[in-house]
Amino acid sequence: MNRLVSLVSRARVRWLATPAALLLASTAASAQEVVDRWGPTPPASTYGPRFDSLFSLITTLIGISFLIVLVMLLVPCLRDNAKKGKKAHFDHGTSLHDKRFTAVVSVVVFIVLDAWVLVRAMGDLREAYWNVPAPDTPGIFKVEVLAQQWAWNFRTPGVDGELGTPDDVITINELTVPIGRPVVFNLTSKDVIHSLFLPDMRLKRDANPGAINVAWFEAAKSGDFDILCAELCGYAHYQMHGKLHVLPEADFPAWEKDASALALAAYDANDTEARWAWDWKE
Amino acid sequence: MTARPLLLVTAALALVAPGFATPGDETAAGHDAGNAAEHSEPELPPHSRAPHQVDVTVHDDAWLLVNDYDTFGELAEADPERFEFVEGLLEPKDESGEVIDTYDGYRDKTGRVELRYDPEAEDVAYFERVSAERLTRGHENYIQYCASCHGLEGDGYGRSAQHLRPPPRDFRVGKFKFTKVGVENLPSDQALVDLVKKGLDGTPMYPWALTEGQLLDVIQYIKSLSPPESGWRDVYAVVKGPVDIGEDPWTNDVQGAVARGEIVYHNVGCFNCHPGYVTPARIDEIVTGEGGIAKGSYREDLTLPKIVPNTMYQVQGYKTSILPPDFTWHSIRAGRDRQGNLSALEIARTVGSGIAGSGMPQWKGSMPDKDIWAIGYYVRHLIETYHGKPQARAALMSELRGGN
Repeated sequence: MNRLVSLVSRARVRWLATPAALLLASTAASAQEVVDRWGPTPPASTYGPRFDSLFSLITTLIGISFLIVLVMLLVPCLRDNAKKGKKAHFDHGTSLHDKRFTAVVSVVVFIVLDAWVLVRAMGDLREAYWNVPAPDTPGIFKVEVLAQQWAWNFRTPGVDGELGTPDDVITINELTVPIGRPVVFNLTSKDVIHSLFLPDMRLKRDANPGAINVAWFEAAKSGDFDILCAELCGYAHYQMHGKLHVLPEADFPAWEKDASALALAAYDANDTEARWAWDWKE
Repeated sequence: MTARPLLLVTAALALVAPGFATPGDETAAGHDAGNAAEHSEPELPPHSRAPHQVDVTVHDDAWLLVNDYDTFGELAEADPERFEFVEGLLEPKDESGEVIDTYDGYRDKTGRVELRYDPEAEDVAYFERVSAERLTRGHENYIQYCASCHGLEGDGYGRSAQHLRPPPRDFRVGKFKFTKVGVENLPSDQALVDLVKKGLDGTPMYPWALTEGQLLDVIQYIKSLSPPESGWRDVYAVVKGPVDIGEDPWTNDVQGAVARGEIVYHNVGCFNCHPGYVTPARIDEIVTGEGGIAKGSYREDLTLPKIVPNTMYQVQGYKTSILPPDFTWHSIRAGRDRQGNLSALEIARTVGSGIAGSGMPQWKGSMPDKDIWAIGYYVRHLIETYHGKPQARAALMSELRGGN
């Protein structure tokens, strides 16, 4: 180890120190800016912070193990490299000591990283992502989503609260939901696989033709958010985006009333081909 | 020895892994149902065919209308280097070889455009020869970009067209809603290019990023879908660019335009189909009786648009209905310029040209261009003030409904 310190201090530090110090300083100063600019948008759903904290946990654990691995690689490189009168040699790590070391590292990595993340992730999935509110939950807001090349068709129940009725609000690439009520999706597709992605809500779920998938979120913030397709679905995949409007509690009933009135005005009882509601899947 | 930790990992994963599968396996059931449906259906419905089941190659050249006899004359006069006037250019013969008639006309020195005789219509028009290779290129691009909605053969009923309202255009009909060329006319290539480049807001018809060359090929293919005697094979049809509503007369007086627009909008009875945006009392003040609507005879609820049933846009034989937009609520289809800004010119052009087959008449000719422009400004003002602004809109509606 002494040899290592002397080695480093002798030559390399001089040309490494300045850029390293600059990099560290600038990283520390602008970390928040980088996160604000390039990082995820702040979570806008009730369960969003859970997934963000899982993400941070994974990033931290992987970051720490990356540093450990980096040190373990650098130390032998610097300590055992070729010098005058000494030839570097390659070691296959076949000795009992090496095998034990590998085994211990593997077990530690598995327990610390994989098991920890797995347990946390399973908890989040069970308690949040898969914990879809039952259809009879009071205040539940049902949305049927019919994906297609290349658009999102949304159907919301309107003032009567029932799907498949003439006052259903049908929109393309635009969805308006209330804040503070669980929004439950039934998703399917007309043609190929799409994926409903609400990045601000931390929700992503595939829409498969021939199957109905279920997903949910509850908005914690009002405002306009992105709706994206997260599954490459053909030429215009990149155009397949929409807007999610989360309305405050005070505004939503008035909006829903007007939307339903206009839906009724647009309803053509004889146009059977225009129907696409299905039996709600729990 | 190294194998041991790996084994441990695998064993541990195997213990935990079943937990993943249990809650999320609804896809599995759905997949089975999908397979069952596929096996029980002997013949695929038209929208379910895959592109490989369609012959992409177009085998014959197509003669597509450039313009009718009279309209083409004006165009040819403007380009004397290319077109020369020839007396007795075309002498169509009947089956026995006898000359029926003699037509003077313009000869295209490049040879692409010809005066052609249609024995069914017993008349002539100028047609352009479009090669089979070009149509094939157009068809290939069409299948790539358009067919998912407009159908593999242009019937407007592609895989993704199901349940869509408004339905995608059936190209065999040769009618388009927002090319802005007037309800009776066929759109020029440039008008179609503009439409595809800008897209139609609020529908899956996006602004498409095809190159101009690709797009023109696709357009030739779409034109070639016209059945005999109609669309681009009709000797009487007139091909036009966007309707001419003149220079903007309101450049320095936008407020004046909006005020004038409000009066014109309500005086000519736009609220017969679209909502009215002033109180019934104010409508009574505005209506003179000369705008085509009688004082006092209005629809019951002027805050809602009125559906137009039985339009010419069909889905599987059913004539669909169209709800005219409420400008404070719905997005309008073709109100933006190439830069994406809401434009009084574009709105005024839609008003001037009308919307073919939908109930929206062509206003050019029925009112001065200045008033058409004023409506453009008024509608733009409505959209900018109320669209996507729930509180402002709620206040307006409450005023119109007398406080309810």
